[in-house]
Amino acid sequence: MSSSYRGGDERSLDALFQAYRDACQAPEPSPNFMPLLWQRIEARQNYSFFFGRLAKGIVTAAVAICLGMAVYLSVPRHSSALFNESYVEALSGGHNLDADQLHADLFPEPDEM
Amino acid sequence: MLVDFELIKCAQNGDGVAFNEIVLAYRKRILGTIARLIARPEDVEDVGQEVFLRLYFSLDQLRTPEVFEPWLHRLTVNAAYDYLRKQRRRMESRMSDLSEQQVVMADAQAGGKIDQEQQEQKRIREMVDSLLGTVSEADRLLLTLKEVEGLSLKELEKIYRVNENALKVRLFRARQRVLKAFGAQDPRGKDSAKAEV
Repeated sequence: MSSSYRGGDERSLDALFQAYRDACQAPEPSPNFMPLLWQRIEARQNYSFFFGRLAKGIVTAAVAICLGMAVYLSVPRHSSALFNESYVEALSGGHNLDADQLHADLFPEPDEM
Repeated sequence: MLVDFELIKCAQNGDGVAFNEIVLAYRKRILGTIARLIARPEDVEDVGQEVFLRLYFSLDQLRTPEVFEPWLHRLTVNAAYDYLRKQRRRMESRMSDLSEQQVVMADAQAGGKIDQEQQEQKRIREMVDSLLGTVSEADRLLLTLKEVEGLSLKELEKIYRVNENALKVRLFRARQRVLKAFGAQDPRGKDSAKAEV
């Protein structure tokens, strides 16, 4: 392609862009432009408001659950005597309910053999 | 500037009347820019509303009212870009459902309903649309803003927040690609484009 031809194309393209500008004039806004715009704004606001409230609700619920858990865990529930005894006291105290059964399993009576 | 800085500040503080005035002042200009950026008159108003919707919800992020216009232009470019990307995806799926003959017939039917001048304008729009279709959506918008809207490199620099040299390189490459597509077009189409102008 010769440079003059290329230059011709450049000019034609510029002219085409100019024609395009004239062919795409700004349209007259319809009478509904502003009401529709405000409708969209309000719809978006309601949407954001709904999700904002939902997020706040979730955060409040999470905080309440955390507080509840903290209270539940901080209250001493080990009132049973078993947990107040030392290890040795517990062993000697005969709290092991399975001890007799275990003994019987390990050392059966001679007539059972 | 088409509005006072004070008006922008009032709108930033949630004044609906001030916002209304800003929209009324810039509406025509923005719709014109969108019309040239997207080349589909039927969707111009919808994209225009999207621009002002974005403006409403991001106005508080504007630090200085002096940069309002480039900023509004940026919102316009972004909304047009989103529209073009959606449109391309929609067109691809829609066109794949129709045979080539059906597309030509639908086009001819649509064309028959409008008068000759409008048809000529439609032809130019379609021609430029197809040429600009050879570059990416981002390059298409940049090229349209420069070549059709007539924005200067300084103005583009403010809109895109990119340095002038990078813009020049990008514009040059995009223009070369369009020029190549233009050169490859049917000479009759080019001649009629010349005759048109």
